[in-house]
This record gives sequence, C-alpha cells and structure tokens, in this order.
Amino acid sequence: MKKIAYFDSSHDMPEEIIMAAGFVPYKIFGDVHKSNAPADQYLQAFFCPAARSFLTEALTRSAEWEGIIVAQGCNATNRHYDVWKRHVSTPFLHWFNGPIKDDAMALRFMKTELWRLIDTLNRQFRVSITDDMIAAAIRESNEVKKRLQRVSALRSEKDITNREYLTVLIKSMTLPKKDAVAAIDELIHKAEKGGPIPKNNIKVLLTGSDVTYPELMDQIDEAGFRVVRDDLSVGERYYTTLIPEDGNPVDALARYYLSVPRPATKVGMRKRIEYLEGALADSGLDTVISQNIKFCEPFAYDSVMVNGELKERGIRLLHIEREFTPGPDNQLMNRLAAFSEML
Amino acid sequence: MNQQTTAPASLEAPQIRIDTLPHAKSLKWPMVWYLLVGQLYSMLPWKKTAWTCAGFPVELLWGFDIFPLHPENMATVAAAQKQSQRLIEHAEGMGYSRDLCSYCKTNLGAVDTNIKTTLGGIAKPDIITCTNTICDTHWKWFQIQAEKLKVPIFIFDCPKIVSGTDERTIEGYINYMVEQFYDFFEFVKKHTGKELNIDRLNRACEESERMSVLWREIYEYRKCVPSPYSSAETSASFFPLVVLPGKKVGIKFFEKIKGDIRKRAESGRGTLSGGAKERYRLLFEGIPFWYKMRFMYDLAKYSAVVTYEPYTFSFAPPKPVGKDYTETLREVARIMMDLPYSYNLEKRIQYFEQAVKDFKIDGVILHENLSCRPSSTGMIDLKNAIQEDLGVPVLILQCDMNDPRAYSEAQMKTRIESFIEVMEKNRKG
Ligand code: SF4
Ligand code: SF4
Repeated sequence: MKKIAYFDSSHDMPEEIIMAAGFVPYKIFGDVHKSNAPADQYLQAFFCPAARSFLTEALTRSAEWEGIIVAQGCNATNRHYDVWKRHVSTPFLHWFNGPIKDDAMALRFMKTELWRLIDTLNRQFRVSITDDMIAAAIRESNEVKKRLQRVSALRSEKDITNREYLTVLIKSMTLPKKDAVAAIDELIHKAEKGGPIPKNNIKVLLTGSDVTYPELMDQIDEAGFRVVRDDLSVGERYYTTLIPEDGNPVDALARYYLSVPRPATKVGMRKRIEYLEGALADSGLDTVISQNIKFCEPFAYDSVMVNGELKERGIRLLHIEREFTPGPDNQLMNRLAAFSEML
Repeated sequence: MNQQTTAPASLEAPQIRIDTLPHAKSLKWPMVWYLLVGQLYSMLPWKKTAWTCAGFPVELLWGFDIFPLHPENMATVAAAQKQSQRLIEHAEGMGYSRDLCSYCKTNLGAVDTNIKTTLGGIAKPDIITCTNTICDTHWKWFQIQAEKLKVPIFIFDCPKIVSGTDERTIEGYINYMVEQFYDFFEFVKKHTGKELNIDRLNRACEESERMSVLWREIYEYRKCVPSPYSSAETSASFFPLVVLPGKKVGIKFFEKIKGDIRKRAESGRGTLSGGAKERYRLLFEGIPFWYKMRFMYDLAKYSAVVTYEPYTFSFAPPKPVGKDYTETLREVARIMMDLPYSYNLEKRIQYFEQAVKDFKIDGVILHENLSCRPSSTGMIDLKNAIQEDLGVPVLILQCDMNDPRAYSEAQMKTRIESFIEVMEKNRKG
C-alpha cells in the first residue's frame, strides 16, 4: 500500500485523514544508525539531532512516499518545513498547522485545518474523502489504541521489555494498521503467557523528549529500570485517549487531537504536570526518569519546573540531557547507574 | 596609506573610527523616560503593566493604557552592563540548559536575583502576554515566569505562513488571530479592569506609524554611498521603536537624528572618521552581540560599514492607519504573523537579495546565533542563494547575542579579516 509520510514532533498529525484518503500513514523516525551528513548540508549541528535525522530520512527515502505532511509542533517542524520544501524531492508537501492551544477557538481552527487537509488531499490524489471513510479510519485507529492500552496495562505487571514496548509503538505509527494490530496482538499474547517483571527491576515512569530508537530503551533496561508508564508521544500520548466514534468525524478528530495529554510543544505545562501526577498516583509509582535530547528546547524548558514540582511531591527523579546515538551513551549509563544505586 | 582609494595594505587601519551623530546622545531621554514611566506604572495601583515580547503589537497595550515592559530588552541592558554572564550562569544553576536562549536565562537570573532595573532587572507585571510567531522560546519562557510569579498569561497562537502558503489560507489564519484578539480583550479586562479604548488604539497606531516612517526614511538615507548611518549606532538607537513605538519622546529623538543624517547625506559624508572611504558595505543579519557592542565600531578599522540590518529594520513595519476597527485588527493580525524576523525561507531570500541590491552591499554577515535556532534555520540556504544569485560573499559567524562565553575575540578578528580579504578579491573579480 502506498504511504504518505509525516514529520510530527509529537502526536499532532491526524493520521486518520491519510487513512481515509487510502494511504498508509508513515511517521518519520529517522535512523539513529545513519550519519546525518545529508541533513547537515542544510541544518547546522546545533539543531535537534532527531529532527536532522528526520530530514536525512526524507532526503534519502522520499521516493518511497506519495507525499509528506509536516504537522506543527516545535520550532523544528515550523522552521524546517521551508528547508524540506527546498531540498526534499516529493510530489506533495503539506503544512498542517494544528493549534498550540486547546480552547474553543483552537478547536474551531483545528477543524479548519482538518478541512484544508482533506481538501488538499482530495485535489492532489483525485480522491473524495467522505465522513464515512473518516469514521472507518477512526475505528481502525481506535483498534490500535485499545490494544496498546492493553499492552500498557500488562507492562506494569508482566515482563514486557522497554524495547518491546517501543518497537510495537513504532510499528503502530509506520505499518498499515492491520499489521500493527497483528504485531500488538503477538506481544499481548506473549506477555500474557510470560512471567512477571524481573524482581530486581525498578519500575519507572519515563518523560521528556520522544524516544525514537530502541537502543535507548535497552540502556534503560540494562541499568535495571523497567518503564511501566510514560507521557511520550511514541507512548501513552498516542493511545491513552480514544477518538470519539459518535457524531461528525471531523469534529471528533478535532476534539481528540486537542485532548491528548499535553506535550511540551503545546501550551499547558500545568496540564502536563497534572497528567504526570495522575499517572504516578494511579500506578503507585514514585520514580521518574526525565530526559531530553540535546537541543530539544521545548522539553528542556519544561524540565526544570515540571521536575521540580514532582520532586517537591516526594518523587525520586533523575533528569538527563542525552545524545542521539544508538551506541552506549556513557554519560547516560553512568547517571542511570548512580540513580539506581541511590534508590 | 590612503584609505580613500586603495585596497588596504594592512587590513586594519586603527586610526579610522566611527563618527557618531551630533544627536546620538539624545537617546538617553527616551531611555530615561521608558525606565521612569515604567517604574511609575509599576508603583501606582491604578496603572497596569504587561510583560511582552518582540513581535507583539505594543500599540494594543497602549490602547488599554497598559505599559509594556520588555524582558528581552532588559536582557540586552544586562548584557551591555556586563551582567548577563552571571545571570545566565545563575539560571543554569537553577537547572536551565546551556543550550537554551540566553535572553530567557538572563531574565530568569535577573528575576531570581532581583537585580536593579538599571542593570537589566524588571518589575513584576500585572499580566504577561506573548506570541509564538518568532520562536517557541517566547511562550515557553513567559509560561515559566507566569507560573513562578503567579501572574496571568495570554499566549497568542500565530499560525505559520510557511513557504508557498496561499492567500486563502492566510485569511483563515487571520480569522483565528482575530478571534484571539477578542479573547485577549476579555482577559485584559478580567485581570486589570481595563477596557480597550478604540480612539486610544487608533492614536497609538497613527503615532507608531509616524515613528516607523521616520525610521524607514532614515534607512532610505542609508542607501547613500557612503552611508551616513551605520549599525554601530542603529543597534542602540532603534530602542524607542521596540519599547516606545509612537511615544513623543522617541519621535523627537528620531527627528533629531534624521536631521543629522540628512545633513551628512547631503554633504556626501559617511560614518568613518577623517573622511575615510567606506570601502566595504555590509549587511549584518541577526541580533548584535550586546555585551560586545565594540564589534560594530571595530569594523571601521577595516573601512567596513554595516549599512543595513534586517533586525533593526524589522521593528518598523507599516502600521494600520485610517482603517476601521475590524480592518485594523485584521491588519495587526497579518503583521504579527508576517514579520521580517519570521519570514519563511522563500520570502527571506527574496527580501535579503533585494536589500543587497538596494543597499549596494559588498558582503553579508549572518549571525548564527547559538541562542536562537529559529532565526538560524535556513541560514545555509540563505548564504548559498545570495552567493550564487548575486555573487556577493557571505560569512556565517557563530556566536550568541547575550552570552559572552560564546565570543572569542581572536577568532572573531581572524574570521573578519579573512572575510575582508574575500570581499577584496571578489571586488577585483
Ligand atoms: S526532539 Fe524536541 S526539538 Fe527535536 S523534533 Fe522532537 S520536540 Fe522538536
Ligand atoms: S533570541 Fe531567538 S530564541 Fe531567544 S527570544 Fe529572541 S527570537 Fe526567541
């Protein structure tokens, strides 16, 4: 099936519209194993390395996609769009300007942007997206989300490694949804039959910049931490809420995307803190690993106050500024080891 | 050596300096006025103040009789007063990363240490307002301060006019902005008791436009060869345009310096001392190094004069004048989303290339600002386009506007001197 790729720094891209147009939504994750040299011709080294890796992927793989959509998120999406437009060869590049606020005006604006996207896809691909098609895509999307919720419930008890969890999320955002469902079912089946979380593991909540490659999750596992909750976009933010299946589907999408747990790229730090507190309270956790990728400004800005408040509530918390590398990040490993010892 | 006619035998000719304008020192009046009136508004209980950021239409606040306080501007004061490094380091001690904007960290440090206004401190406001039009930093920073100071905040969500955005889409964006204006008016009323006075807003726009026109006229004179005014002075003298648009004290200052500039232009004099020839006309893009304003003056040693800076010019966009209320709001919305400082790459390249032609530029310096990823995005494309389309050399200088730790005197000197050589070679073909 043909793919439409998207650059999304959080969970802002309404995949369901792409699905309704008959394409597979493919979230660009970059490739941490590959050099960023292609992107470095246009973006200096002091820009977020993940965003540079996304550009590298687009520069080298765009021929596999029918088009690309960039969804408004951080300054990387906003400003890099123009650089992508100049250098990435693609028949179709669209800017989706979701709002950064979540009030009534933002909701109206979100609908306008959704209609603009529908209209553009209709014209570009000579399709005719109907409400029924969007409603079907919503149901398909919810199937994935419901299963991921099951994975999330299981991972707080059962032995689902940090890598397995992230891998299934990445599959959910890159494969056709039915293949994603099969992959998630397989993991659920394995976990249900499998044993509990190893006893010596410390259960944690993971927050901060999105983790886009499993090697980082391995390092967290190796240090003896098992991630059982998170507030990441390649994580709970993607599935914790379901898209309403009643009423007008465009309205439902608008409401859904404005109601997912707030990332640092959106206005509402207080709501972010509340979500984290709720997740910790619900799961009885008192340990948090907070990390931001070097040069990821939104999460670096948030980290001081968000982490400060959690610590004030007695949460044991480690904050790390990490590299974008699949190899052992020595500083990260040392900090994790020291944190584990301290606990 | 005769600087008038020959290429520099030695790159540096230390006897050449910048001749400042006779009325340059009159800038102190608008500055004093700003600080004093700001203090008064902060003290009197029935007067209200707001923190705001670059890109926010200050005229709106004047329409409410709310005094705008500018954390960014006060951060530059801290840098000029050699305070920024310790304030930045203080903020880093609070946990803020070395990679974050140094304006934000200067302000966080200034508030946390309660530093005096004359050194870059700033009073607690009644409300905070900002936009995301130029950068995420503005709203992330102001959101943090609003939480810390327990001050209500209003953030304008400005859609992005990326390369290729069509007019119909922009109209939709304007609708969203206008809706937010009405929400903002409610917010201001709720938290300050103030209501928008339309006449006051229109007057503020008119007076602001008067000031902007003066600034734009000054820039017309800068097209003269030699240029009668350089960035050594504009980097400070644009201050009233940022913080006091339309205020009489600023208009008077601009009228005075415009008179000086006109006289200079009419007599064919430039900014270099002793009638030295202006050999290299430069365009400087980005925020100046506030802790090292000598940089702009020192260029004179090489007979180089910065004759245009998009940064200082960007604070004088045409203001909506003579329009009805609805049109005014739509126009303000459009200006907010489409500032030269947040132009998309296609527009930015066109804008720069036109400026290079209009101001007869021999070389372009782009400040790749470690604090400011948004404005540094696309800089490589900008450089390549100017070099390829116009054959004008471009130098990318990596530094930081408020953090002196990023500035290396020796490296700057070497980079500038090699650039002077490049421009010289380019001139000879
Ligand atoms: S890691 Fe941070 S800076 Fe990079 S794309 Fe994601 S949100 Fe933006
Ligand atoms: S320097 Fe750049 S990042 Fe910092 S406040 Fe100004 S525009 Fe924003």
